[in-house]
Parts: sequence; C-alpha cells; structure tokens
Amino acid sequence: MCLGSPYCLRVAGNYAKALDLLPGVVSRLHAAGKRAYVATPAVPREADLPHVGRLVDAAAAAGADALEIHNMGVLRIVREKGRPVPAHMGAYANVYTHLAAAVMRDAGAVRVRPNAEVSLEEMAILAREAGVEVEVLVHGKIPLGVTDRCFLLTEPEETDPKCPSACGEVHWLTSRQWVLKTVGKGVLSGRDMCLLEHLPRLVADGFRVFRVEGLYETAAYRSEIGAAYREALGRAFAGGGYALEDRWADAVKRHAPRGLCNGYLFGTAGREYVGTVLQDANPEV
Amino acid sequence: MAELLASGGSMEMVRAAFDNGADAVYVGATGWSRRRAQYEMDDAAIVEAARYARSAGRILRVAFNTLPASSEVPLFLARTDGLYAAGVRDFILTDPGLMMALKNRHPDTILHASVGCTIINIQDALFYKEAGASQVVAECRMGRTTMRRIKAEAGVGLEVLVHATTCYTLLGRCTMSSYTKHGHRVDASGKDHFPGSPNRGGLCYRICLTAWDQVGANGEIEASGVELPNRAYFLAEDIPYLIDHGVDTIKIQGREYSVPLVGRMVRFYRELIDACVRDRAGFRMDPWRERMDRIVADRDAERREKTAGLISESLDR
Repeated sequence: MCLGSPYCLRVAGNYAKALDLLPGVVSRLHAAGKRAYVATPAVPREADLPHVGRLVDAAAAAGADALEIHNMGVLRIVREKGRPVPAHMGAYANVYTHLAAAVMRDAGAVRVRPNAEVSLEEMAILAREAGVEVEVLVHGKIPLGVTDRCFLLTEPEETDPKCPSACGEVHWLTSRQWVLKTVGKGVLSGRDMCLLEHLPRLVADGFRVFRVEGLYETAAYRSEIGAAYREALGRAFAGGGYALEDRWADAVKRHAPRGLCNGYLFGTAGREYVGTVLQDANPEV
Repeated sequence: MAELLASGGSMEMVRAAFDNGADAVYVGATGWSRRRAQYEMDDAAIVEAARYARSAGRILRVAFNTLPASSEVPLFLARTDGLYAAGVRDFILTDPGLMMALKNRHPDTILHASVGCTIINIQDALFYKEAGASQVVAECRMGRTTMRRIKAEAGVGLEVLVHATTCYTLLGRCTMSSYTKHGHRVDASGKDHFPGSPNRGGLCYRICLTAWDQVGANGEIEASGVELPNRAYFLAEDIPYLIDHGVDTIKIQGREYSVPLVGRMVRFYRELIDACVRDRAGFRMDPWRERMDRIVADRDAERREKTAGLISESLDR
C-alpha cells in the first residue's frame, strides 16, 4: 500500500505531511502482512526540501518498505542520507529508458513505474535491461500532469476556505469527447486504465508488480476493484484458460462512470481502449 | 557575462538569430527534440549551421532532449557520434541515462539539462550535474531565491528562459496531449516519431488551451468555458537581475514562430542586455516597453493561430 498523496501536502490527513502518523500505520500494515510505502512530494520547491528530509527520516524510522519518488532531487536526498529506505520511482519520474532507470537504480531505486506513455513492449525492455522491478498500472486513473498551483482554488491556498475540501470532491474537466479529472494540483485521465482483459499477457511477459491506483477514489472503489484484480491475477497466474468473470467486469464498469482506457500500453492515445470484452464500456460525451 | 541563446527552427532562423546578435543558437535533431520534424534539422543542415556558428565565433547547441524508447539508444549514440565527428560539442538532453552515456563516450562534450528535466530545486540541479550536465535550465516558474542558491552552491551553470510558456501543468511532467492523440511512425532513417507527445518528440496539441467545462460529481456544471492557463510570457524586467546574479544563459524559445519575429526578439534582447551591461546604474525599462509590447502582440497572434491549428489537428481522426 502506498501511503500519502504526492500532489499536495495540504490534502487532509496526508501521510506525506503528518509524519507522526507513520509509525502507527506502518506497523498496522506490517502486522497484516502487507508492505508499506510512503509517497514523497512530486513537486518539491526549494522551501519544501527541509520537510522532505524529515519525511525520509520519519519513513525510515517507522520501518517503511520504500519511498515513492517522483522528483530527482528527492532521490538524491535519499541517496545522500545513505539510502535508509529503498526508492520506487513513481509516475512523474519520467522513466522511459533502461538507461535512465539504471541511473536511478544506482542512486537507490529498486523499482520503477514507467511514464504513462511507455508501451508494454517498451516496458519489457526496461524490465530486462535495467536491473529494477517494473510496476505496471493495471487499473485506475492515469496521472497525466502535475503542478504546484491548485486549480480548484481562487485564493492563495493558505487562506482559501475551499482548501482542503475541494480536492476531496469529484471534479471533471470536459471538452467535446475528452474528459479529465482534476485533483487540484494534478490532472488525471477521465477514463480508468483497465488491463483486466490483458493480465495473462502481463504474466507471460514477466511482470510481477501491479498497481491499482486508489488515490482520490472511494473506499468501495479500492476494495471492490482490488478484490476483482486479486482474483483475476490469481486466475491469470494459475494458467490454463482465462476469461473475465461477470463480477469483475461489473465492478470495473460500475466504478468507471467515464469509461475505460489502456491505449498508451499499446502504443496509441491514452484514452483509447484495446480489448474485446470491455470496449463497449465507454460512454461518449 | 550572460550568453544570449536563441531558437533555430530552420537554417534561415539560425542565420537570423546569429545575425541579430545571439551568442548561441539551439537546433533540434530530427525526431529527437520536443517539436515536430518541421522545426527540426537533419545532420547535413546541423553541420551547416555549426559551420555558420563557428565562422561567426559563436556556438551551436544540438537538442536531443526527447525521452525516447530504450530501443532507440543505439540510434542516439550513432547519430551523436556522427555529429561529434563533424565538430559538434554542445548538446541539450533530458534523459539522465542518455546524458551519462554521451558524457562517458565523449568526455569533452558540453551537456546541458533541458527544460524538460523540470529542475525546480538545488537537488535537481545537482542530480543532473552528476549525470554529466554542466548547465541546467531553470523550470519556468523558478523563483529568485532558488536561482541564487543554485548559482551560489551547486557549481553548475544556470539557464533562464525569458521567452517561453508556463504550461498549465509543469513542462516536462505532462502527457495530457498524448492522452487525446498519440501516433507512432518510423521515418526513412529508422527514427521513431510520436506525434502528440512532446516528451517523445512529436508535438504538443495544447489541449489545455481549448475551452473546458468544470463538472461536479453529479454532472452539474460548476463553471463553463474554463481556461486551463498556459501563458506565453516575455520577460524583460528581470534581465538586469539575471545579469547581476551571474545567470549563464538567457534563452529565447521559439522554433515554431516566424523567422522575422524571432529575429526581432533576438535583436530586442541583444540591445537590452548590451544597454544594461554598458550602463547598469542608468538602465531603465520604460524606453523599451513600446517596442516590447509590439513584439508581444505579434507573438500572441502567431501563437493563437498555431494553437487553433494544433487543437483541430488533435480532433482529426
């Protein structure tokens, strides 16, 4: 489980900010047999670096299993501290090539999540050549962009009464057939990434790390989508025939009001869907 | 003394930039920079541009600043080998792996970390320095405190964009364009092109600049015709500050603009910088404003037209 939001330290209860909460949540996860990762800010300005240093120390002290890192400066801070916690390079780290992944590996990264634009074919090369684990987003909204000025506020964030509640609500951005989701300092895809139909191929290609993105989603989303993929992955790893159960398809469709997509992984536009079963799950605006 | 660096989207623009006073010009190798092929140059043209620069005692910098596929690394090494053999030493890169590979292969190359590296703090600057960069481009909204700190402590050159755009998101951390449209073709030389992805060297469709509705959880329209702000700026007020604080390169972005407009921008900054250096205490911005406003108006008109074209291209199936 990845704790905390990398988008904004003002998000209510953000584990990346409320460092005193880390020991408790990490030990609860460990007691349940789970691994605990902690997100670091994706856009740390100079003034944020002291807090980043404290965050790294706190995560290490709490026994976190990894830090999710999007900014090269944060990776360097972890390296300079003697790599107290392994690094997982996150969505905004711009990992495209195995050479970049190797540079990050040498600085302490053990896992990378390639940029959204990287196809499955390209990810396989990364996995083979870079000497790090490769994490594949199998479900959830795709991180498309990050900034450090909140789009949902009209006043400075320190004084705007809409902060921190605004990003806790659902806000779409629509234009013609395009739908995006704004979370204030981030832009996500409107459609949910969905690789449910393609899990056997991921298994055959050698991928072993699969992410369901639950940030800014409901508890029901996380538990129902998570359960569907847990079962589907079990089926995919078991080998033999693989066919979508209705309950999995229903779960993903129920939680994707704006539809499904996976185009990036097949070398086309991010919002396209490649598949034979769930392709009708796309409403057109 | 700050170097004035300008854009070279064609051989004609390269000449115009140098002739109007640029100390250095950057060009993009076809398929390898953050613009479409129309604004890039093949090896023959790059070598001619480098020759022109040398004859004027100036520098040509070649951008290989895309984030390519792993399979393209041999292509990258072969192409940079060829340009190196032809005398090119200055390169602009984004991928830290490509940076290290090129630096190890040709230690006397001069590598700059591109705006696509999104350098926002001193640790970023140090990371790219360690990857082989001797100069880094500041992210467009970097504040003065961070600039001062990098200059004072990082031991790496600092480059500031005075004419560019502040994207809706952070430049280099955005794939909104390719979410809507993303192509892939291979050209005759075997180079991949990814139209729709600025990171991959295609082009950005600037979908942020169309009209958006902000919609709530139950489909209610919260605001219509909303702009996702992506402003083209033109800094002039800051020039004295940048010169005073030892910024190494002052950069004019603009390969996609017309040659005459780029020429005017270069001449404006050349004259302004020279006036500031000649008489720092007596320097005033007011006499420059009217000329600046005319350039900005013409720049805005060209940009509007270009953006409209890109958005309708993104809608084409």
